Amino acid sequence: MNDKKIKNIIIIILIPLCIALGVIIFKDRKYNLISMIIAILSCIPIFLTFEKGETSTRRIVIIAVMIAISVAGRVAFTALQGFKPVAAIVIITAIYLGAEAGFLTGSMSAIISNIYFGQGPWTPCQMFSWGMIGFIAGLPFMQKLLLKNRVVLSIYGIFSGIIFSLIMDIWTTLSIDGIYNMKRYMAAVATSFPFMAIYAISNVVFLMLALKPFGEKLERIKIKYGI
Amino acid sequence: MKSFSSFHPTILFLYYLLVIFISMFTMNPVILGCSLVGSILFFSMMNSPRAILKDIIYYFLVFILIAITNPIFSHNGETVLFFLNDKPVTVEAIIYGIAIGTMLIAVIFWSKSYSQVMTSDKFVYLFGRAIPKLSLVLSMALRFIPMFKEQIKKVNQVQKTLGLYSSDSITDRVLSGIRVLNSVLTWSLENAINQADSMKSRGYGLKGRTNFSLFKFDKRDMTILIAIILISVIVVLGFAFNIFEFYYYPAISILKLSRVGILEYIFIFILMILPFIIEVKENIHWKLLRSKI
Amino acid sequence: MEIIKVENLNFTYPEQKIKALEDISFSIEQGEFVAICGESGSGKTTLLKLLKRELAPYGDKDGNIYYKDKRLEELDARIAASDIGFVMQNPENQIVTDKVWHELAFGLENLGIPTPVIRRRVGEMANFFGIHQWFRKKTTELSGGQKQLLNLASIMVMQPEVLILDEPTSQLDPIAASDFISTLEKLNRDLGLTIILVEHRLEEVIPISDKVMIMEKGNIILYDKPQYIGQELKEIDENHKMLSALPSAIRIFNGLDTKGQSPLTVREGREFLSNNYENKVVTLDRFSTNYKNEEENIIELKNIWFRYERDLPDVLTGLNFHVKKEEIVSILGGNGSGKTTFLNIISGQNKPYRGKILIRGKKINKYKGKELYKHNIAVLPQNPQTVFLKSTVKEDYKEIGKVMGYTKEEINTYTKEIVEMLSIKELLDKHPYDLSGGEQQKVALGKILLLKPKILLLDEPTKGIDAFSKKVLYDILLDLKKQGVTIIMVTHDVEFAAVASDSCGLFFDGEIISTDRPVEFFSNNSFYTTAANRISRHMYNNAITCEDVIEICKLNGVKKDYERQKN
Repeated sequence: MNDKKIKNIIIIILIPLCIALGVIIFKDRKYNLISMIIAILSCIPIFLTFEKGETSTRRIVIIAVMIAISVAGRVAFTALQGFKPVAAIVIITAIYLGAEAGFLTGSMSAIISNIYFGQGPWTPCQMFSWGMIGFIAGLPFMQKLLLKNRVVLSIYGIFSGIIFSLIMDIWTTLSIDGIYNMKRYMAAVATSFPFMAIYAISNVVFLMLALKPFGEKLERIKIKYGI
Repeated sequence: MKSFSSFHPTILFLYYLLVIFISMFTMNPVILGCSLVGSILFFSMMNSPRAILKDIIYYFLVFILIAITNPIFSHNGETVLFFLNDKPVTVEAIIYGIAIGTMLIAVIFWSKSYSQVMTSDKFVYLFGRAIPKLSLVLSMALRFIPMFKEQIKKVNQVQKTLGLYSSDSITDRVLSGIRVLNSVLTWSLENAINQADSMKSRGYGLKGRTNFSLFKFDKRDMTILIAIILISVIVVLGFAFNIFEFYYYPAISILKLSRVGILEYIFIFILMILPFIIEVKENIHWKLLRSKI
Repeated sequence: MEIIKVENLNFTYPEQKIKALEDISFSIEQGEFVAICGESGSGKTTLLKLLKRELAPYGDKDGNIYYKDKRLEELDARIAASDIGFVMQNPENQIVTDKVWHELAFGLENLGIPTPVIRRRVGEMANFFGIHQWFRKKTTELSGGQKQLLNLASIMVMQPEVLILDEPTSQLDPIAASDFISTLEKLNRDLGLTIILVEHRLEEVIPISDKVMIMEKGNIILYDKPQYIGQELKEIDENHKMLSALPSAIRIFNGLDTKGQSPLTVREGREFLSNNYENKVVTLDRFSTNYKNEEENIIELKNIWFRYERDLPDVLTGLNFHVKKEEIVSILGGNGSGKTTFLNIISGQNKPYRGKILIRGKKINKYKGKELYKHNIAVLPQNPQTVFLKSTVKEDYKEIGKVMGYTKEEINTYTKEIVEMLSIKELLDKHPYDLSGGEQQKVALGKILLLKPKILLLDEPTKGIDAFSKKVLYDILLDLKKQGVTIIMVTHDVEFAAVASDSCGLFFDGEIISTDRPVEFFSNNSFYTTAANRISRHMYNNAITCEDVIEICKLNGVKKDYERQKN
């Protein structure tokens, strides 16, 4: 069975199956578990393409470097509370190295930063959100758009700050109520609003300032070593 | 070191998967209670009393918060206590809040001990077979992180002696952070090529890569594995026969306590405090050994 | 049996006109230890990389390389990977995984070897290299020497027939370097491993090698037994640059115009002197050169106590130190003795909890903001790469000019001055990381000199650079001194300190002990001294450099019974 088949099977069968299972057999209210499983399953297709694909050794090492930079980068900003470069670095990686690299950098950064800051049932959800932020930014048309247009880049930065926060709030709500509770969700969004704002702003600032210099570095490596 | 964490990574992973899954799957108060007790007991075997106390107080507050706030968001339930802003506050909602708080905190404590037990090398080993490339990426990144942190500090110092962005204003902080990171990025990317060369020169990319590890699956692992499988079969049967069924809305249901039910709960309790028992047994064992000397 | 044979090898990098390697032919016997040396850019690294198939650079190549009579290209991938091992320069960049045991197993995993076999081989190698004590450690927790040893061990587990090493000790301190080189000697002697080694540390490497190859501009100009290379090199060119890079014993032998087999080690050098030279004149007459006692102290440290954290032990314990204006001072000392901490104290990055620091007569804490670094103190860090931020050297220079608040004209004139002094014109438009170690260091120094400092602090300035670059650095330092700059360096490099400094101090146990002029300093030390001094100290009092030894030998003259003794 080749990887494409595996991927299709997972997407087409497993995810709806999970939802169905959740609704019918678990008599719903188990959305917390299901959301976790769906988040994990959604990561698998890209993980598997990476595993089966012919990625050059150099590219593998560079992805590892970008993951480590996004986690260790925090140290460079210790003087600034709440300034986390993860999402911005994931986006830059995606713009220059593509959707797959973007997704991997995002999702693996989530696993690794949680090794330092605490794993929990939220890990899969974080993996998925950061992964998707990278994946979307790395789609060919998005790559071009984000590189050319600074406004789009800012919007994407804000969007990724907000979406990350919103997804994590969904997780909070689901894990407390078992089902989607609009009121609780609004309250969660409201409490996390300051963080969301800092997050969105720092993403934009970081992207604006770092895209060019960081991009040059990645571009140079790509040309010099044919990646 | 600690006794439970010396089991084979597969066992550890399986155990945590099972325990967290059960805790998140059910709302049955007895199971949740067992899970909470088990998770905190094991966590306290692994940590200093001060750290335990600090964590327990902190999470107790979180627990109270969830229990109290739940009625604000949820107005289900028959037994109305009073009205707040024309919305009913019900006993059921409060009790549901307590249950959900128990679940969340149990899961958090399981996660905490998980982080201590499943060290990165076990994690890398576990996924080395299923996703070899990614687990290598993980292992590389884990090596890079302390290296990069060190380099960030060095570059920071050098930039200071060059008289760059030394003021305390936010702009200077942001700019200097980005400059430092930029320098570290260049440094790491250029050096990454060397590492890729080193990998290739040691044959990375050849077909049929094997996975070496220091972990051995021994008799002790086998015993515990069988025990875990047996208990989980029993527990799954319990779920299948609706022994653990419990609901909070519209009214709180009564706990079904048949003879089989009690037996099932005992098994769940054993499962949840298994790591704790193993630690205690090991401690006693060592004390005895020492007293014999 | 020939294990490696190279026939008419030519190589040109893409978009380059000049050949990196030109018509090279040679062969290496099984079990031989071959040292390759030459100036940077002579093609050493290119040659080494071509010998390892996986690392062969892209470019135009013709000619053949045979491994055991088989063309390298025709080798089975597994054999190519395992039979020819390659150790690179930087210990940090070759490690792949985060655990020592995993790193050891990495190559064997790639070869698809089953776990029980890996376990045995890894265990065996860990024992051989003494790794078993840190077998379960994280790779990031190791010292530089341990890391390089791990790199070597993780290649040795693959049981190679040929080991190729590209400047493996250039990033290590002298003690770790000696350990590493003796491990190589042991591998060669006990396992019969064929070793091909490019090294700067010729003092230690040449005596243990069977053959020495000297390269220049893509050609092999010499390939012979070490006893003969000195003489042969001199015959090729009386003033060949490589001559100054050879071990002291050979240089003294050469300088005295002796013929025959040259001595290689300190021991042989001593025998050579006592057999052949008189010691009527014991002390070399020296007039004290510019030791200006009347000058004011430009830096003064009084009773400095420092520790990094409250609960950590003291690093500096009541340190006293002062420097006269326009001096070059070297501070020597072992690894982790606190030398770098000491430099950071002077540059204001570490703050002592007790004691007084005066920089140019003013207390260090009276300098506000950037004042301390503006036309005042500048630091060249150990790793020059930490200095670069931009994509070209020129941009980096421009930026520092802006920070200093220079006008455009000022930036241009200053840059021009510095570029001329360091002769780095052709490097300006390059990316800093495309430069060699020596070049990177010059360029980094240039950036720091743009601060127009009065005091220059250097941290291990000779680390990882070859003998020629050292000579260049020495000239630059003298130049700076003439321009009125005071220079303080901390270094392991005894030979360099002996040549370059006006005074030397030994750092030990949180203090600087025995500060003296180099001649007194080194002639009073018996271990911490130059090879030339060790060769001659049993006969002469104060010969520190090879030139000193040659001079005093000539003064004394050849023993009368020299001819008889030789026969």
